[in-house]
Amino acid sequence: MTEVILAVKDLRKSFGGHNAVNGISYEIVRGEIFGLLGPNGAGKTTTIAMMTGLFKPTSGNVSFTMNGQRWNSSDVKPRLGLVPQEMALYPTLSAWDNLLFFGRIYGLRGRKLRERVKIVLEMVGLADRAKEPIDSYSGGMKRRINIAAGLLHEPDVLFLDEPTVGVDPQSRNAIFENIQTLNSTGLTIIYTTHYMEEAQRLCDRIAIIDRGRVIALDTPGNLINSLGGGLIRLGLHNGLGKTVAHNGRAHPEVRDITIMDDCLIVETHNPQKALIGMLDIINQMDVRVTSLEVMEPNLEAVFLQLTGKSLRDN
Amino acid sequence: MLGQIFAITIKDLKILFKDRAGMVMLFAMPGMFILVMSVALQGVFDTGTDDKPVEMLVINQDNGGLAGEAINELRDLGGIVLIDEIDGQKLTLEKGDRLIGSGEYQVALVFPQEFSVSILAAATDPESAQATVTFIADPAASPQFLAPVEGAVQGFIQRVAAYAQAPQKIEAGFASLAEEAPPGQGDIVSQLGTAFVDRLEKVGGLDGSGSLGVRFEQVAPSNYQLAELPDSVEQNVPGYTILGVFFIVQVLATSLLREKQEGTFRRLLAAPLSQGALLLGKLLPCYLVNLIQVGLMFSIGHFVFGMSLGSSPLALLVITLATAAASTALGLLVASFGKTLEQIGSLSTLLALTLAAIGGMMVPTFVMPEFMQTLSKVTPHAWSLSAYQDVIVRGLGFAEIWTETGVLVGFAAVFFVIALCRFRFE
Repeated sequence: MTEVILAVKDLRKSFGGHNAVNGISYEIVRGEIFGLLGPNGAGKTTTIAMMTGLFKPTSGNVSFTMNGQRWNSSDVKPRLGLVPQEMALYPTLSAWDNLLFFGRIYGLRGRKLRERVKIVLEMVGLADRAKEPIDSYSGGMKRRINIAAGLLHEPDVLFLDEPTVGVDPQSRNAIFENIQTLNSTGLTIIYTTHYMEEAQRLCDRIAIIDRGRVIALDTPGNLINSLGGGLIRLGLHNGLGKTVAHNGRAHPEVRDITIMDDCLIVETHNPQKALIGMLDIINQMDVRVTSLEVMEPNLEAVFLQLTGKSLRDN
Repeated sequence: MLGQIFAITIKDLKILFKDRAGMVMLFAMPGMFILVMSVALQGVFDTGTDDKPVEMLVINQDNGGLAGEAINELRDLGGIVLIDEIDGQKLTLEKGDRLIGSGEYQVALVFPQEFSVSILAAATDPESAQATVTFIADPAASPQFLAPVEGAVQGFIQRVAAYAQAPQKIEAGFASLAEEAPPGQGDIVSQLGTAFVDRLEKVGGLDGSGSLGVRFEQVAPSNYQLAELPDSVEQNVPGYTILGVFFIVQVLATSLLREKQEGTFRRLLAAPLSQGALLLGKLLPCYLVNLIQVGLMFSIGHFVFGMSLGSSPLALLVITLATAAASTALGLLVASFGKTLEQIGSLSTLLALTLAAIGGMMVPTFVMPEFMQTLSKVTPHAWSLSAYQDVIVRGLGFAEIWTETGVLVGFAAVFFVIALCRFRFE
């Protein structure tokens, strides 16, 4: 039986007339890894800030269900863990001192505190470097301590905001393993990223966010399957996109064509055959192609199909 | 909540004591200033005392006897040695000017030829030409040295002039009465005036002694000031301590901005921790560091330089608590304005040095022009220094420093309220 642990309803946040989050709703099930995927500036961090009680929403609400009761964010702060996007550590202090400090803030004391510090250090594989100052760590090691600090008080829900930014592939894999291990113990994880590979690899469900709105929400498999065989992005030169799209839609291998600025986004079950067909049409109309990209079915392609832009364009 | 505040305080103290640059700024720099400036300026501040008197050249060109009387009076003034002869020859204006110009002496006092005539003439005719007594001073001489010496000498000359004018003024007063007397009685009034002056002179009433002399003594301004001025150590130890205390502004503002920039505030506020507790936890270590600074610097002053700590440790403690409150509140205020570390660095340095200079930490306010002395009152530094010097120089206690500490607490409250209105944790 699935149990909703966190419900977000029509959440909005404005900063001086700019709508950073513009009506987001979803429910998160206990024990799942829920991904918020979107480009930088899409509103992911602001959404997390509202879910963790750091920002008050302009409107809408966030509610947690724990012990059979509904709570708002500030009521359940001791049971939430946040790993911010920034390296939220004190660089001149050792990992040990950093973790002791954050543990004390969550009310841990004495032997229990020291035991928890040891456990999370073991978990992220840095027990042997614990007494060294954070300054001396690599980017990946700092990220792992950053995660460890969010786990000290054994939260029920862990928010990971872009936890792998600036991390080498080896450390990234170590972080993924940590996250999967934590999730296997029943921890609910909300994971924001603009790397589609990470979302695809880790998340049970993904909400794709752009300009403060959820534009798609499903399992990675369902999101990708909705594309069919893949996508073709064609940049055209002389503004005949509408005519090319009209003729292209008649091609048997083309599912649909979306016009985005000077580009055509072609959905197809068979990219190779659809590409040949589209190029024939373009040649007959004597239109010059300025760019061409054939994309495998993945979350990047899903984002492109939904927004007309790449995750990495932002 | 107390446990959380304590945890933040311990964490910040650990960070601070690991920060060598911060330690240098907060402890080594003011300590170094105290050591160097107290020794370097000892001569300047101590000049004018009985132990180390000022040598002043005197050039007497007066055709009358009043300048001579003034010189005799000045010889009795402690802290000044008058030199009117060199190598058995009376000093001339040219010789004195040359000796000052060559830097052999720092100040000369010149009585003009018309000194006596002008003073006596002024007794009956206020519009008559005034005698000009000139101080020839070495341009390189410190104002801290010149101001009290010149003030004291001026006071004595004014007294001698007042004594000299008194008989003529009395006679003039009776003469004026005689003019208004009924017909035939004017001569009697006039003769009475002359007899009154003669009688006063016979009993010594106008020779500077007796009650008349006491009254004039009180008028002399510099004699009073000299006894109240701090010496080099009493100026530099509290002065540079206060300068160092206000360096905490940069430490605190930088620490607050770093917490924002590095995301630690975000992490802490996501924890069950109130904004008030977080802010208190951030302010407390800086406040404690301020207390340590004052304790350490005053210990240097007392044990190394023999500076008196006055008779009221409680008063010193209260002043220190109020000064630390003003400095930490100013740190929060700067943090609420600064958006980048560069902004905070330049704003803090500007404030620390400008307020210290205006407030009299580097140059004492008593040698500043009047408008600068007034301006110094807009700095917490000046109030703090004044309070410390009330205790360590003037021997005042807890009951006499309430005005200064009240103003300091007022500064702290204003800074704090403005800062709270502006400060953002994100």
